[in-house]
Amino acid sequence: MRTALAVAAGKATGALSRLTRRGGGTTFPGDVARAIDPDVLRNLAANLQGTVVVTGTNGKTTTSRLISALLEGLPATVVANRAGANLIFGATAAAVAAAGLDGRLRADWGVFEIDEATLPAAVDEIRPRAVVVGNLFRDQLDRYGELETTARTIQRALEELPKDGVAVLNADDPRVGEIGLGLQRKPLWYGLDDPRISLPGLPHAADMRTCPRCASELEFAAVYVGHDGYYRCPNGDFQRPALEVAATAIDLEGLDRLSVTLEGQRVEVQLGGVYNAYNVTAAFAAGRALGLKPAYIAQRLATVQAAFGRQERFDARGRRCTILLAKNPAGFNAVLQDAIRLARAQHFLVALNDRIADGTDVSWIWDVDFEVLGQAGSDMTVVPTGVRAYDMAVRLKYGEVPAEAPEPALERALDQLLEATPQGGDAYLLCTYTAMLDLRALLVRRGWVRPYWVT
Amino acid sequence: MGPPILGYVTTRRGFTVGWLYPDLMNIYGDRGNILTLLRRAEWRGFRARVLELPKGTVEGMDDVDVFFFGGGQDREQALVYDDLLEFKALPLGRAVAEGAAMLAVCGGYQLLGHYYQTAEGDRFPGIGLLDLHTEAGPTRHIGNVVVDTSLGLNPPTLVGFENHSGRTYLSDGLKPLGRVRVGAGNNGQDGTEGVVEQTVFGTYLHGSLLPKNPQLADLIIGTALRRRGISDLEPLDDRLELDAHRRVLDRELAARR
Repeated sequence: MRTALAVAAGKATGALSRLTRRGGGTTFPGDVARAIDPDVLRNLAANLQGTVVVTGTNGKTTTSRLISALLEGLPATVVANRAGANLIFGATAAAVAAAGLDGRLRADWGVFEIDEATLPAAVDEIRPRAVVVGNLFRDQLDRYGELETTARTIQRALEELPKDGVAVLNADDPRVGEIGLGLQRKPLWYGLDDPRISLPGLPHAADMRTCPRCASELEFAAVYVGHDGYYRCPNGDFQRPALEVAATAIDLEGLDRLSVTLEGQRVEVQLGGVYNAYNVTAAFAAGRALGLKPAYIAQRLATVQAAFGRQERFDARGRRCTILLAKNPAGFNAVLQDAIRLARAQHFLVALNDRIADGTDVSWIWDVDFEVLGQAGSDMTVVPTGVRAYDMAVRLKYGEVPAEAPEPALERALDQLLEATPQGGDAYLLCTYTAMLDLRALLVRRGWVRPYWVT
Repeated sequence: MGPPILGYVTTRRGFTVGWLYPDLMNIYGDRGNILTLLRRAEWRGFRARVLELPKGTVEGMDDVDVFFFGGGQDREQALVYDDLLEFKALPLGRAVAEGAAMLAVCGGYQLLGHYYQTAEGDRFPGIGLLDLHTEAGPTRHIGNVVVDTSLGLNPPTLVGFENHSGRTYLSDGLKPLGRVRVGAGNNGQDGTEGVVEQTVFGTYLHGSLLPKNPQLADLIIGTALRRRGISDLEPLDDRLELDAHRRVLDRELAARR
């Protein structure tokens, strides 16, 4: 009864929020519902056949989207916090929106992306069948303290998984590896296995360089993204765990598509870049943990389009534009490298905000290898924008990247970028999280993309 | 700058930044400080280079003009600790006594003092280069910082970001880098931020510190070059850096009005 009341109140809040155009109503209804019934998410989740939770620094939204597609093809109705509202309130809001006024969920499965720090609460309330941990990079140190603390939080949460719950872990990430090797129950390990796409070495921003047991410097036979790759302690104290789900023969084609072989199955998707090879492999592994067949998984993954703000495309005045969300050094480096290496990108806007959701400390931009923009050719356009446009402009100056003058107003910066991009050319919009939301709101006003709650 | 001709290269003066533990103590965008020191020397015609000083390396420390010592995570800080005390402390002290400059931020700053006292009361000795000590505090100071200096800098303010739970206390007679107008600074109590003693600068400010405070970068570079007989630094076009400085300053002061 209490849960039904909470659902009704939450739904009313969500409707009001959309009606008054205050946004998609993606978290506030959760706050309202939880105030009435603190167990609303627990009670609603208990109606489901099962749920999958996705956490980690980068790739949560896309991986969740891929896993939802696997379940939807069963067929099944899936409840998910698709808009990236990944604290417990966001998960609650999504569940409330999918519930009937009788206080029961109108869905078979749940897929929730969950912020790393929220994982213990999510595991406790949602009782997931699988938890995917994608990677752990430095991100928003102003909010969460240090990576050590985050790793311990995740490990604690994974120990509390229900009996039928599986930890699906990226073995290539040494910090995730350390978490998984310390668990009572053996996790399902996934990773990439194709040295052809390895980077030449560890980027400056790599966080985990030493063996957690003996502190020797880890040796990397391959590096794919950040500190994710094939690592080994020279004393044999620690190494990348053996992969149960390994992506081989990875072909990256532009930012549009990629293909990999997983358990003998060729998987082709409409997403590009190395980090999406990880997202696809994670989703495949999660599907296997739920007992789905490789051929079925491959067929479902092929249907998925990019999530909002993640390699999302739109056309503007005859220019093909791509939004690239990047929130931290590892993500930014991956996006920059792929844009230059795979798409030969030349026209960029870089939008830096420092709101709470972005991290209020912008120091991290100094750990990003923006230097690649200066080395990629002479016909580059780079427009620094956002609340901290001036900080970004200084970063580019000291990276010896020729850039335009800082333009804090996103709308003017966008017009400047379009102006500099030739007709029929490609423009890339690199954004931190709230800058991406600002940009999309602007694009919606101009009728160039649809609002995120209808994507 | 055009391609240097051979004679130019051979007569150009060198400038060396010694980066202590670049792989382990680099958490808060410390590379920004390194890049700023390097570029500002290069833009003035110096042949600038970084000497990395990881664990086990002491060679070349006598040639360093500016040492940089940044912050790390707890695990990393513990890893460098023995190496610092055992191998680096002596050559560091010698170089500084001979006029090399040093910038230490956050964790690096704390390790220059007499000791760091944990919440449990355990004391970890520092290298004792500066007459200060640090105690663990119950909460973290996190946020933007504005500091008023009296070092003759133009502008006299410093802007940055702090994120630390340690409370650092300077002994009497030791001069702070400045006084906080916004933020907590050394300990959140006495209004001081950082320290400046001879050629050594310590601070809790990152963000990164030097890119948005080019006047401080030049003070540090100038301090180091004095022993090489260079007294004046050629001015650079700092409009962009100072605009970035002013933007943070205006916003932080407006938010507190």
